[in-house]
Amino acid sequence: MQTRPVIRYRAVHKAFDLPVLEGIDLDIFPGEMFGLFGASGAGKSVLLKTTIGLIVPDRGDVEVDGRSVFFGDRRDVRKIRDKVGYVFQHAALFDSLNVFENVETGLPLRRLRAMDGRRVARLVWEALERVLLDPREVMTKLPAELSGGMKKRVGIARAIVGGPDILLWDEPTTGLDPVNTAGVQRQIRRLSRELDVTSVIVTHDIEGGLEMCNRVAMLEGGRLRFLGSPTAFRASGDPIVRAFVDRTAAEAAVDLVATT
Amino acid sequence: MPGSSETPSRAERWLAGVARAGRTVLQHSGEIAILLRDIVAALVGLRVSLRSILRQMYVMGVQSLPIVILTAVLAGIVTSQQGGYQFTGAIPLYVLGSIVAESVVLEMGPVLTAIVLVGRVGARITAELGTMKVSEQIDAFYSVGRDPVSILAAPRVVAGIIVVPILVAVANLVGILAGMVSAQLTVGLGPNSFLYGARLYWQSWDLFYSLTKALVFGFTIPVVAIHMGLRTEGGAEGVGKTTTQAVMFMTLAVLIMDALFPPLLLD
Repeated sequence: MQTRPVIRYRAVHKAFDLPVLEGIDLDIFPGEMFGLFGASGAGKSVLLKTTIGLIVPDRGDVEVDGRSVFFGDRRDVRKIRDKVGYVFQHAALFDSLNVFENVETGLPLRRLRAMDGRRVARLVWEALERVLLDPREVMTKLPAELSGGMKKRVGIARAIVGGPDILLWDEPTTGLDPVNTAGVQRQIRRLSRELDVTSVIVTHDIEGGLEMCNRVAMLEGGRLRFLGSPTAFRASGDPIVRAFVDRTAAEAAVDLVATT
Repeated sequence: MPGSSETPSRAERWLAGVARAGRTVLQHSGEIAILLRDIVAALVGLRVSLRSILRQMYVMGVQSLPIVILTAVLAGIVTSQQGGYQFTGAIPLYVLGSIVAESVVLEMGPVLTAIVLVGRVGARITAELGTMKVSEQIDAFYSVGRDPVSILAAPRVVAGIIVVPILVAVANLVGILAGMVSAQLTVGLGPNSFLYGARLYWQSWDLFYSLTKALVFGFTIPVVAIHMGLRTEGGAEGVGKTTTQAVMFMTLAVLIMDALFPPLLLD
């Protein structure tokens, strides 16, 4: 028996100057690691942002855990955001806050107010350790003092500190070298398993995405071009999917050569 | 069809331009109205931190004080010298006290302070929030259930409303004193005669008028700056472009409101 989806995209339409999403229907199930592929500008990040109401669709709706993001109570959106951790493409750490304060903001406000300082410090400490950062070393640093890879990890710590049920990853490996890319991919797999969360991963890195995810989709021309298992994606005869896989494999090879 | 053409006529292009401009004005107005609604909601709901307001008051007020004082000193000196040059031998020189005091309090103090704050405070707010917008920090606030309007916008508007009238009061005082010293040095008008002239035409309403202007400017500058910052798009280039536009809008807003004040508040 199929379980109830934890995220449901229902006929999501969005246009900026041109149409980006043209009626996306998609269900994500509990515990899945779901990969969302597509070329730049295909609308992957836009779709991900609609999940917690960061972008409002022109038409359609998104439901998270049975709650409507756009047609429900305003309190529902707050509850949804408390349940979801969002990892931004370039970490999006708050420049004026140190690492501790950045991670602390990931705790839902009502919970934070009810906790004493020691408990908050312990949760932040644990979150930093989970992303393999030494809390003693980074806690008081400002984002400007961190490397790109460390910023990503702090961004992940902020997303997981509140104990989310769902993690949304927006291009988690963009801008990282192959070593850091592999490290972040290992962390995504490990954290999704340890925290028992549903993960939706938007990525350009097709090979990495196919290895990590148990179901994938490809967006093209504002619509879902492919939806299925990684094995089916690799074996797809669809010329657009094939061209995308081959081109990405070629680019990955060039990157590898360039860094060795 | 006879008379039809693929390319639009000049009149059609002009009308399309007017429609686009109208739509842009309506869009900005609507967004500012929503921003103001959210700021009021944050203040009424006591979701604005006093510490943030005090910090913004320090940044806008204390850190702007040197440049505001320098501008006021120069405004007082220039007005005094100009008046002295024009009126020596024509009318009793003590009238210069009135000319300097009224010019500084009614016009130079509030307007020059506002223009200085447009560059120093307004541009900074737009660039700061614009950078946060393009680096997704504003989205990050929403994603962790925090309201950026309560955290970033409301403290800046409250601080502007409190701080700008204080800065204008300081600018008025310093401008008049600088004008008085300049009158003594350039046309030999002593402080007693200067102050006599200043008191002769002085009305308490003038100070109220000056501080009301300051209050309106203190509200307008951060609101426009925040609005522009929060609608920034397009990376570093977008931040630069929006900051330039914001400075232009804030300066125009200050000058237009300045032109509207006399018919509204002066007989």
